[in-house]
Amino acid sequence: MAEILQYVHKDAFLHRLHPYTKIFFIILVTVMAIIATDIPFLILMVIALLAFAAYGNVLSESLNQLKLILVMSVIFILITVITMPNGETIGYVIPQGVPLVGGLIPITVGGLMIGVVLTLRFMILIFAFQLFLISTQPRDIVHAMEKIRVPIDYILMFIIALRFIPTLQIEGQRIHEAQLARGFNPGTGVLGKVRSVSPIVIPLVSNALLRSNVLGLTIDMRGYRTGKRTHVRERVFEKRDYAVMTVMVVAGCGFVALVLARMV
Amino acid sequence: MIELTDVSYTYPHTVQPALHRVSLSLKKGRCVMVTGPSGAGKTSLCLAASGILYHEYGGKKEGTVIVDKKNVSEYKSLSDLAQNVGVVFDDAEAQMIFTTVEEELLSALEHRGLSAEVIEERLDGIIRTTYLDEIRDRSPHHLSGGQKQRVALAATLALGNDILILDEPTSELDEHATQRIAEILAELKNQGKTILLVEHKYHHFRDMVDTLVILENGAITASGNPVTVLEDTRIRGMIFPDFSTIRKAVPKPSGSDPVISVQNLSHSYGDVPALSGINLTIHRGEFVAIVGENGSGKTTLVKHFNQLLSPTGGDVIINGRNTKECSIADLAHHVGLVFQNPDHMFFADTVLEEIAYGVKNLDIGNGDAVIDAALRDAGLSEMAGLYPRWLSRGERQRLAIACVVAMQPGIIVLDEPTTGLDGYEARMVIDMLKNLQEKGHTIIIITHNREIAEHCADRIIVMENGRIITDSEGA
Repeated sequence: MAEILQYVHKDAFLHRLHPYTKIFFIILVTVMAIIATDIPFLILMVIALLAFAAYGNVLSESLNQLKLILVMSVIFILITVITMPNGETIGYVIPQGVPLVGGLIPITVGGLMIGVVLTLRFMILIFAFQLFLISTQPRDIVHAMEKIRVPIDYILMFIIALRFIPTLQIEGQRIHEAQLARGFNPGTGVLGKVRSVSPIVIPLVSNALLRSNVLGLTIDMRGYRTGKRTHVRERVFEKRDYAVMTVMVVAGCGFVALVLARMV
Repeated sequence: MIELTDVSYTYPHTVQPALHRVSLSLKKGRCVMVTGPSGAGKTSLCLAASGILYHEYGGKKEGTVIVDKKNVSEYKSLSDLAQNVGVVFDDAEAQMIFTTVEEELLSALEHRGLSAEVIEERLDGIIRTTYLDEIRDRSPHHLSGGQKQRVALAATLALGNDILILDEPTSELDEHATQRIAEILAELKNQGKTILLVEHKYHHFRDMVDTLVILENGAITASGNPVTVLEDTRIRGMIFPDFSTIRKAVPKPSGSDPVISVQNLSHSYGDVPALSGINLTIHRGEFVAIVGENGSGKTTLVKHFNQLLSPTGGDVIINGRNTKECSIADLAHHVGLVFQNPDHMFFADTVLEEIAYGVKNLDIGNGDAVIDAALRDAGLSEMAGLYPRWLSRGERQRLAIACVVAMQPGIIVLDEPTTGLDGYEARMVIDMLKNLQEKGHTIIIITHNREIAEHCADRIIVMENGRIITDSEGA
């Protein structure tokens, strides 16, 4: 099963970087992706991120969710084409030959462009965030966030939310199988679909609540919330971090120059 | 180290006390094992003895609990108590918060005010004691049940407390993994730890237990030296269930058609082979036990019987029809599958509605009579109006079976139906299955319990690494 947004233990370039370097990286990439509207530039960013993933030996993990991303992209583009028609019409979603409804939804250059830009931004954000999570141990995230004074309860909430995604996935799968064996009918129509989720969702939520009780007690008993900590095996800022930071600052300046020159 | 005097406790919004005048004394370096039927209050006792009940739960509390010479009320908080007591809960998954084994242990160690050198030293010691060296860098999603339990134990050991409280650490584990936990605990006792252990599998721990406590309906009914406590035949039956009297002379099905025929079946999850070259024929009215270690392919095999999994190679024929041509819903009429954890299926508001769900799905005629019969056979008639999740584990297990029985499949498959049950509860489940066999059902159980396999089944199939290694008539 593809593990969504989980840390993967490796000894590679990205893994060895300091969490701050990677947090700065996410911020920079996010800002660039939001400001830029130039499609070739955004495509270049996607390629750069994937190259970065390949260099850090986490390319296959990064592409785990590609299917989901592509489906989302198609939906994004469809929505913008339908809701934001603008400029020259280059075709129709429903071919003109179809009686009655033919030619109702025009595909416009403007709508298509906005859709593509949104999709690329979405991809960039997902890939950047994934790179960070795949290559950073939650323990290091806790340390880094603690240092910038994020309250420990919020950090733990964030870590736990991510940690239990696969657990819930597996549990959901088991419940689904148990109900299928009892003749579970996935239902038809909107109302039927909504009604049919209760045999899956109720056990899933009930079991999760039970589990969260044990989880909460465990956190307290291990003293994670006391905030007192011995500093052991902590990441230090190394040469490679300074090098990457320098590259990012240069790239940031270059980007500002491009923006001022109205090139992106 | 721990002293409970006349402790009574009633959970909020309930009437029946979960614990009733419980007194218990745990001396330094000793091991007390608590056992009893499911729903007897064993988990509540763990919570009470660790002080968690006092600090975290509402409800009515009476009596005194002394932990390490101090009343629990004198401890400021749970973190304060955690300086003295370590608790391992039964849900191992919920006790793994980080993404590798080593990270989990390091995170627990860093909050104890130790120096970095001591932390590294203690980390190595704990990893050695709990045999985690090979899986240091694994994530929780890639650990077996036994490994997860060992990590939960190791993370609790990381706290360095002298008192350990363990709530059913081996309930989901096979014999091998249970033995491993027992060895680790024996070693910890030798190191001077004081241990309160809630368990069903006394025989694995008999050498280390100093005091055996029997808890029933929230009250202690027997306590003392294990040898003396076990002289009582009723208690013996709870701890060493006697299945030898269970065999009934069921007329051998003679020359009947096979209901299940598996031909050269193989299955892989991605690149990982899980089953290979399985050939198997099961006839109407047989009682078959499938045994084997965790991960030997038992569950994978039975999931093929109702098409939850499709063969990667080979065929599965159920009542003369190839499963490849049937939908899961079709097969639900022929094969009923009861999964290991009953909580994966309960969603209705009452026991009755829970059973009715499957009956309605399959459009079974004369539904009310069928449901009544299923309730009666499971011994749950009086609980028809209760919320399923309020029942004890033993009752929930029987309800899970009733839900499947009501759908009237000819073949009933059960994955570990006696997990977490005491001797009498296990016996009730097996009796129920024997009665179903008499009525003409074919019964297939997956079990770790050799005794059940040997005394109850007509045929024992042993699996290893995705293959059947022996297939023999029962004793």
